[in-house]
Amino acid sequence: MIKKVFEKPLSWFERIFFIDFIRGLSVTIRHAFSKTITTHYPYEKLTPPKRFRGFFGHKVVDGREPQPAFDEWVERFKIEVEPGRSRCVVCLLCKRACPVPQLFEIEGEKLPNGKRRVSVFNMNMLLCTFCGFCVDACPVDCLFQSDIHETASYSRKDSVLTLEVLERIGRDWQRRREKEPDRIWIDDAQRMRLWYENDLKLPEVKKQ
Amino acid sequence: MESLFVQLLVIGIKILVILGVVLGLGAYLTLVERKVAAHIQRRPGPMVVGWHGLLQPLADGLKLITKEDIFPRAGNRFLYNLALVLALVPAVLVFAVVPFGPEFEVFGVKVKPILTDVNVGLLLVFALGSMAVYAIALAGWASNSKYALIGSMRKAGIIVSYEVVITFAVMGPVILAGTLSTYEIVQQQINQKLWYIWLQPIAFVVYMFAMLAETGRVPFDIQEAEAELVTGFTVEYGGIKFGLFPLVEWYVEVLSLSAIAVVLFLGGWSPINIPFLGFIDPLFFLGPLSPFVWFILKVALLFLFVLWLHWTLPRYRIDQITETAWKVMLPLTFVNLVLTAVLAPIVWR
Repeated sequence: MIKKVFEKPLSWFERIFFIDFIRGLSVTIRHAFSKTITTHYPYEKLTPPKRFRGFFGHKVVDGREPQPAFDEWVERFKIEVEPGRSRCVVCLLCKRACPVPQLFEIEGEKLPNGKRRVSVFNMNMLLCTFCGFCVDACPVDCLFQSDIHETASYSRKDSVLTLEVLERIGRDWQRRREKEPDRIWIDDAQRMRLWYENDLKLPEVKKQ
Repeated sequence: MESLFVQLLVIGIKILVILGVVLGLGAYLTLVERKVAAHIQRRPGPMVVGWHGLLQPLADGLKLITKEDIFPRAGNRFLYNLALVLALVPAVLVFAVVPFGPEFEVFGVKVKPILTDVNVGLLLVFALGSMAVYAIALAGWASNSKYALIGSMRKAGIIVSYEVVITFAVMGPVILAGTLSTYEIVQQQINQKLWYIWLQPIAFVVYMFAMLAETGRVPFDIQEAEAELVTGFTVEYGGIKFGLFPLVEWYVEVLSLSAIAVVLFLGGWSPINIPFLGFIDPLFFLGPLSPFVWFILKVALLFLFVLWLHWTLPRYRIDQITETAWKVMLPLTFVNLVLTAVLAPIVWR
């Protein structure tokens, strides 16, 4: 069923005294004299939410790996586990899941003791769409997206994330945000205020 | 011989003061507009260059001057540059007949703070106002671009319609004052102890609409409707030439037309008016400076009101704009004219 809704036409009183204009003007004047709600970007920065899809990183081995998946993959590929280094097990699932697979350059190496380890892990961020499929695919919770979003660089070479950079981002992120509760805005008064200002009045769902 | 020299000196000083004030103020009004627009949208606006962005106009000017001046290949260079001159000169010339205050004496020389007190001042204002259409039509034509051409044709249509309306709207105050000289009109309002807005509210509203239309402000900014026409007739202009058009159209012209509105309807430099009884001057402590302050205050408030409207209202369609002009505004001014003719003897006495 289509319900037709017409706009109420302006009455002559409203037309002659510009009531609609006055209503609009009153709205703008109220906003003009209320506090601004912007962030002065290069001087003030917002903390992105924990789930923000920014630059990639490799979480490092610190005893919080998802078990039993991590141990299973380590056993299957005979991976050398070093605390403080990348959790990567060189399964290439991230490359498989990627819509632009050539942005990954992943190689493993065999150590003298017969075990294996990731040696090259380059991600060319110029090709990346930040879709996060690789993160979903990662079986050992190694690859993840951090809150780093200021990604400008002076050359194309600088926009390739190497294994070293990925590990550094991972260590940094684990130190700062790993233990944070998974909420949308965190510890940011400005954003919290905005969030509550936009307190939507949704109709309550009636239980039957 | 000596009096002639003094006269020339006085005129020279007046010209310099008016030019400096108008163009300098025009540049700084860009900052005012940006701040007002920003706060209406709950942003702080320019904040970095100088305290609260006070040096922003200088930075903008420097940037515009150092930008490359690109000229469209198939354009007409003579008309392209002529359009600029035709836009700037009439807009500034209007200030020649704007009275800023009452006559005063400096070193025994009587000075009227008006450049030329011609006895057909208002006629001059609206003659110069109609010149704007040439600048815009030429700018659109010489750019050899369809956006520019469409924009300029729209603007020409608007100006042609609203020139008629504004002239008839102004007729009311002219009848009440019995003169076309801007200085005399203010003097008449003071003598009659009446701001003409009290007797001419319809004319004032119509004048405000026509003013918005002539200066291309919202809700009549159809000539540069950025969603459809990029920026209308200024598309092909670059560098400082691009900067001059909005400066002239949005600031100098709005200022001049606000000043004329203050002269015609709000009693020029006179303080707050109670109709037929007298004037109340809360700024009496400023002594002889008070009239000038009143004039500037009124113009500033009117200008801020225009800005406020600009950042509130949406845009009308071109057919709605011309329709309003011919079908609503013009009949209203005729009605107003008849009413004024009936009421005029009460005011004349």
